[in-house]
Amino acid sequence: MNASHPQALQAFVRKVRFLLLFREALRWVSAWLFLWGAIVLALRIAGQPAGGWPAAGLLGCLPAALAAVMQARRGLPAFAHLRANYDRLNTCGGVIMAAEAADMSAWESHLPAPAVPGLRWRGRRTWLLLGLAALFAATTLWLPDRLTRLASRRTLEIGKVVGELQAEVKTLAQERLLDDKKADALEKELSRLQKDSNSTDPGKTWEALDHIKEADANTAQLAAEEAIKKTAALAQAQTLAQAMQQAADSGMSDATAAAAAADLESLLNAAKLEEGVLKGQIPPELLKGLTGLNKEQMSRLMKALQANKDALNGTMSDLARLKMIDADTLAKCLGAGTGGDPGALADYLSHCQGGGDPDLLFSWLAHPGKGGPGGGGPAAPMTWQDQVSEKDTKYQPHALPPAGKLDTAQLVGVSRTAPKVNADAPATAAGALDQAAGSGGSAQIQTVLPEQRAAVQSFFKRDQ
Amino acid sequence: MSEANAIMKPEELQPAAALARKTLEQLDAILLGRKELHRLMLYGILARGHILFEGLPGLGKTALVRTVGHILKLDFKRIQFTPDLMPGDVLGTHILQETGSGKRELVFQPGPVFTNILLADEINRASPKTQSAMLETMQEHCVTLLGTTRELPRPFFVLASQNPVELEGTYPLPEAQLDRFLFRLLFDSMDAAVLEEIIAGRRRGELPAPTWQMERHELESLFQTMDRIYLPRPVARYIARLVTATHPESAEATEPVKRYVTYGASPRAAIAIAEAARAHALVAGRPSVGFEDVKAVAQPVLNHRLILNYQARFDRLNAAKLVTELIGQLDETGLNLPADLELATR
Repeated sequence: MNASHPQALQAFVRKVRFLLLFREALRWVSAWLFLWGAIVLALRIAGQPAGGWPAAGLLGCLPAALAAVMQARRGLPAFAHLRANYDRLNTCGGVIMAAEAADMSAWESHLPAPAVPGLRWRGRRTWLLLGLAALFAATTLWLPDRLTRLASRRTLEIGKVVGELQAEVKTLAQERLLDDKKADALEKELSRLQKDSNSTDPGKTWEALDHIKEADANTAQLAAEEAIKKTAALAQAQTLAQAMQQAADSGMSDATAAAAAADLESLLNAAKLEEGVLKGQIPPELLKGLTGLNKEQMSRLMKALQANKDALNGTMSDLARLKMIDADTLAKCLGAGTGGDPGALADYLSHCQGGGDPDLLFSWLAHPGKGGPGGGGPAAPMTWQDQVSEKDTKYQPHALPPAGKLDTAQLVGVSRTAPKVNADAPATAAGALDQAAGSGGSAQIQTVLPEQRAAVQSFFKRDQ
Repeated sequence: MSEANAIMKPEELQPAAALARKTLEQLDAILLGRKELHRLMLYGILARGHILFEGLPGLGKTALVRTVGHILKLDFKRIQFTPDLMPGDVLGTHILQETGSGKRELVFQPGPVFTNILLADEINRASPKTQSAMLETMQEHCVTLLGTTRELPRPFFVLASQNPVELEGTYPLPEAQLDRFLFRLLFDSMDAAVLEEIIAGRRRGELPAPTWQMERHELESLFQTMDRIYLPRPVARYIARLVTATHPESAEATEPVKRYVTYGASPRAAIAIAEAARAHALVAGRPSVGFEDVKAVAQPVLNHRLILNYQARFDRLNAAKLVTELIGQLDETGLNLPADLELATR
């Protein structure tokens, strides 16, 4: 209980003003803590070393509170307003307010007992905001480094690409298209890229990955080109060997067999199986005595040729599965050198009696067809001859049907003077105002349709 | 502030407050069961305003006016307004008379308006012409006929009554005349206990004579005291805001006001509230007007001054309800504290 109304009024004014300032200060401090927390977080993510941040944050609360007080002071309610409220809340009936005009101390005893009116502040939201701000600031300050690093060094999602490239490298190494040293180096490079990739600079990572992919693709393409050549040579050698085996059974002469063996040797030498990245091998004892190979050795030779061919095809299939070569290249590889007819060739060898033409043989091998001495030569280019000329050609004439109106049209003459008016001719029947009413008529005649008749009748009945 | 207008000391105010309370006691003793109405009636008299009574016949409107006249020792006249009543019947007229010298001249015969308290019974039955004849008397307290202005006796009050149910053959009061009435007071029916007391204690309903009557100088002193009741600036601002808020285009108008009111109260309403609030403070024995004084008199001052639209009629809403809502919603001091801060009453 206060001693007098003026004292209670002063206490009330102080209370209201303090609460307003305090409330505003809390709001500003909350805002400052949020701001400071955000700054700390940003600095930590940027990798700035933690210096005197806590001290700066706490010291910053003071200017924030002072700024809030300065700001809020301008909006504080006037003393007259607060006095009016004091008067109202104490049911003083305007006596306290009348103090603005005169000394009202004489009326003090007639007033209710002085009491400072209560001021209810529902500050839960403000306090909650401050608590959240403080919690946020503290969290940003004491957040473990590994979490801030997570935010700062976010790796790229390149696991799938790296996995594909690793499979490519592994396949190339398995197929001996890459040497072990280079394959290891590429594996390490891929692992390093996956580990060190950074979302802040993705271009560098993607560039390195593209480079490896391009190198893999080039290696595979070179291997494919080599495989196509070798497969073609092996297929031709296989056809010839098969023909020689069949011809030997049907009485091929020794001279022809020797020539064919020489051709086979030259084909195998041209294939260069032992060279390049896709190395293959024919048993040396078979290569040495190609002229005098017996049936069993010939079978072994063909098996060896087929095995080499299968190995090349398998390698190409693996590369195609990893999409290192396209489907067309794979098809070229698988189909290289095929199409030769060993039966026809065996027939040729058995009939040529040593007089065979090696060039024709190779041409036949190069352009397989139904050729051979009895079956025609290889496919020949098409030629155009005996062209038909239109000279002296006669066509049968056909008359066109006549036009629609022209059949009745007739030219009567061409006038060079003004046309004559025929007075006997009837006047034009339908003018613009034909059948229009004498007054208020219209040039256009509206026909009342049956379905409109009822509406028209009801319109005229309305006035009756 | 001059000495004459200085805020009164308790000893200066107490006699006037006692006189007012004594008047109320007399009224309450003579007319039973209408204490609140008697208070408002006294506020109207002290504010020197005219009052419009509205109620069914037989509820004691005339008795109240007559009793007030007796207690205040004021001249009292009654006019029964009818459709054929002419302005001359109210104001007076010039008649040709022969003087002692044998000369004939027009002599003014004052009408019943020349009195202190004029009971205009069923005022809405008179034609607009006759109703309008009252305008000058009510506002200027004088009558002008044939170019001559005659002052009415002071004080002058018009206490009019109108029947809210028999509207056949009536002429609703124009807004200009309604605005000249300080209060519109509604006479509602009495409860059974009061009726029982009247029947048991009053033969033929005759009113007892007042045991005390106010002298003319006492009435004058009351009016002088009224003039010294102080109206603080925050209260004046509240009255102004309250009246302004009755206008639908006002920033502080409540949603119902915006929706239902066509025209708000006039500046005369603000003056009327201030004067009536002063009277309320005087009767309460206070030298200054407080917010509660304004709230106590705002309802009868404003309830006949708001012009409502048809929507209000459809929604069965009257001005009294709107004013009550407005008073309840309008912050007295306009302190505009933040939403989370609230002043607690004792």
